[in-house]
Amino acid sequence: MLLDIQNLTKRFGGLTAVSNVSFGVERGEIVGIFGPNGSGKTTTLSLIAGILKPTSGAIVWKDRDISTLTPFEVAQQGLVKTFQNPQLFPELTVAQHMRIACHLHVKRALGIGRLRTLFSGMPAELDRTLEHKIGQMLELCRLSSQRNDEAGALSYGGEKMLGVAMGMVCDPELLLLDEPASGLGHDEITNLDAVLRDLKSHGVTLCIIDHKVGFLGRLADRSIALHHGAVIATGKTEDVLANEAVVAAYLGKKHA
Amino acid sequence: MKYAIAVGLLLALVAPAVVHSDSILAIAIYGFMAASLAVSFNLIFGFTGQLSMFHAASFGVSAYVVTILVTTFKWNFWLAIIPALVVVMILSLIVGTICFRFKLKEFYFAVVTMAFSEVLRLITLNWNSVTNGSLGITVVDKPSIWTPSGSFAISSGVSWYYLTLALLVIVYIICHRILASWIGRCLAAIRLNDQLGETLGIDVFKYKLLSFAIGSVLAGLVGAFYGFYSGFVEPHYFSIPLGLDIIAMVLLGGVNSLIGPVIGALVLTALPHVIELSAELRIALYGSILIFVILVMPKGIVGLLTSRKHAA
Amino acid sequence: MTQLVIGQMLNGVIVGSLYGIIALGVTLTFGLTGIVNFALGAFMMFGAYATWYLYDVVGLPYPAAVLGAVIFVSIVGYISDRALFQFTRGNLVNGLLVSIGMISVFEALVLAAFTTTPKDLTYVLPGALHVAGIVLPKIKVAVCVVFLAVIFGTYLALTRTWLGRAAFAYAQNPEAAALMGVRTGRLQTIVVVYSTALAGLGGGLYASMYSIEPTIGSAYILKAVEAAILAGVGSVIGALGGGIILGVSENLGSVFFPSAFRDAYGLVFLIAILLVRPGGLFGDRP
Repeated sequence: MLLDIQNLTKRFGGLTAVSNVSFGVERGEIVGIFGPNGSGKTTTLSLIAGILKPTSGAIVWKDRDISTLTPFEVAQQGLVKTFQNPQLFPELTVAQHMRIACHLHVKRALGIGRLRTLFSGMPAELDRTLEHKIGQMLELCRLSSQRNDEAGALSYGGEKMLGVAMGMVCDPELLLLDEPASGLGHDEITNLDAVLRDLKSHGVTLCIIDHKVGFLGRLADRSIALHHGAVIATGKTEDVLANEAVVAAYLGKKHA
Repeated sequence: MKYAIAVGLLLALVAPAVVHSDSILAIAIYGFMAASLAVSFNLIFGFTGQLSMFHAASFGVSAYVVTILVTTFKWNFWLAIIPALVVVMILSLIVGTICFRFKLKEFYFAVVTMAFSEVLRLITLNWNSVTNGSLGITVVDKPSIWTPSGSFAISSGVSWYYLTLALLVIVYIICHRILASWIGRCLAAIRLNDQLGETLGIDVFKYKLLSFAIGSVLAGLVGAFYGFYSGFVEPHYFSIPLGLDIIAMVLLGGVNSLIGPVIGALVLTALPHVIELSAELRIALYGSILIFVILVMPKGIVGLLTSRKHAA
Repeated sequence: MTQLVIGQMLNGVIVGSLYGIIALGVTLTFGLTGIVNFALGAFMMFGAYATWYLYDVVGLPYPAAVLGAVIFVSIVGYISDRALFQFTRGNLVNGLLVSIGMISVFEALVLAAFTTTPKDLTYVLPGALHVAGIVLPKIKVAVCVVFLAVIFGTYLALTRTWLGRAAFAYAQNPEAAALMGVRTGRLQTIVVVYSTALAGLGGGLYASMYSIEPTIGSAYILKAVEAAILAGVGSVIGALGGGIILGVSENLGSVFFPSAFRDAYGLVFLIAILLVRPGGLFGDRP
């Protein structure tokens, strides 16, 4: 198992945001986590990404507990998270964003040899590799035409796509997507759906959270439904969606 | 821009052959040292986004260490620079670790670094047996360099001119190389959105500390020379106004550029000599420039120049 | 020893109240406009000089001189808000630097007008009270009473009036207050001016106890900011408490430890508090 969440619990003062959650993610699959607002989805993802520290429980990544690591260490382990509200570097262009996101790639390629680049500059070969990779990823995320635009000028959907592209250029083994579809229009969701399917065909493992059941239902191989911070159903996506508890807690509430 | 910098450097190199006025040379020497301070400060402030109020303290600590080693313990000047920079590095690592480990940002960082530099100032002021208290230490020695024809004391205006110009060039090149490397990208990521940088695998703590330590050590390098040119070191070196002068220079020149602080420092060093001003009015002028630049031209002189070019 | 400790306690409360009312201004201004007004120290210094001028040169009675100084400082505060601070709202670094620039300008103006020679007003209320063998200078007792009255009045204004409650709410939670329809623009100006008026009052009272110089403000604003951080930014009433704690601990500290380092004690204490409780003593925001 690539990622194994064991009895994860997070309390904020008296409030239990995540309660005894356990699930696993296998290599190459798309796992959906869904639930209504406030059900603990984002908290769970933040715990995995090291942004929050769990009250108890373990996050086992390739047989090692990573629950005490800081966010950048988690990212270095190959677990990268995108943000629900797109996070940008103001003033910089799309290409410059991607270049910063190549940090881990450069680090892996050169290691301590990076010190030499202080005198000699970046090796031309690595530079070409990065440019190629950035071009490829922007192509995949349908951002090639805006490559030299300031990222602030992108549409909301474009900004979210840039987040996915930056996450992907880190070469993650598992990409955590925090509500990638929220706030997007119909066309943008179709586009996102296609991008994520492309990513899957490239062998990327994805863990996606969303409250839009429809979007996630088509995409995820397996799903986990959360309610009040606890797992109420898990299994194949269509089974989970048909589960009575899920319908009652989630859909029922929504339509009531 | 590159050509303008090269031409400026060339002019600076030949200037002493044309200009023979000692007072103009002195202004240039102080200007070069101020520019070195401003460039190193901008590495921390302009490029990493951390408003350090510790810069004057790094400068002062190094000036004191070198001076005490040379005048009291009779060390060689060049040798004394090494422990001075080591002391500054250790202090900046301690202060930086405390501030960055606890994620003190913006205002908190400014106030805590200010607090540390105040504590250092009080120590210098009250440790009479070593620092001679508020009177400071008079420096009579001059650094010398060895040439095949014997040692040559750096005492004339022209020799100090080239020494400080070399200092500025070295500080500038170091900062330039750092910013052009992967470190520069990490610093930009931290300045613009450290949370995003962290999720992309950047060790925010490490790079903040790196930028703070390098900037502070470079300020220490300037401090090592300063006392030997001016002829004295005093607790005033640690003062908040000196820190503010550096900020004013950086803002006036242009905060997101390497050459901006050099321009700002040269302008602000020369200005009081060009227009006759009393000490009070000089302080008022610095304050007004600070306010004016922030409200009216936030990108400084360099921003003004480059935007003209774009418009044309 | 009792005399010394009690005397220093009284000094500590007075100095601490002064820190406290400036710290209150710092906290309110920060909460409403998102900037730290370092120039409040310079406003305090203005208040002290204006009081001295109105009393010594114009010849007004002392209370009228203080009142005149407060009005004068408020006007300067209003002008500086309209001309400068309104353009830096929400931009902490710019606001900090603009206010620091103002300190230089104000200090230089006062220096040019009145020179560095300290001005002295400490004779306005001579004599001392003798209570159970302890000597208390009358002026210090009077100033202490005025400070406590101002602090109590500010507390009432913040908790009992609509405007005060709005400012209070805004300082603690800007988004919520904006949603509730608090008119932020005017409120911001009122708070900036009120803060400068408090600082001016502090300066006017300071002038009756200690000699005044153009640089007194810088020392006090640092202490006030320390007090505000110590209390926790956003904690309005805590700022007053933070000031008094700081003042008393400094003055009592210098009874028992070398007084040359008295400024350092407060700073070390502040750093320690920030590391243990990043939100400050009374604050809960990190």
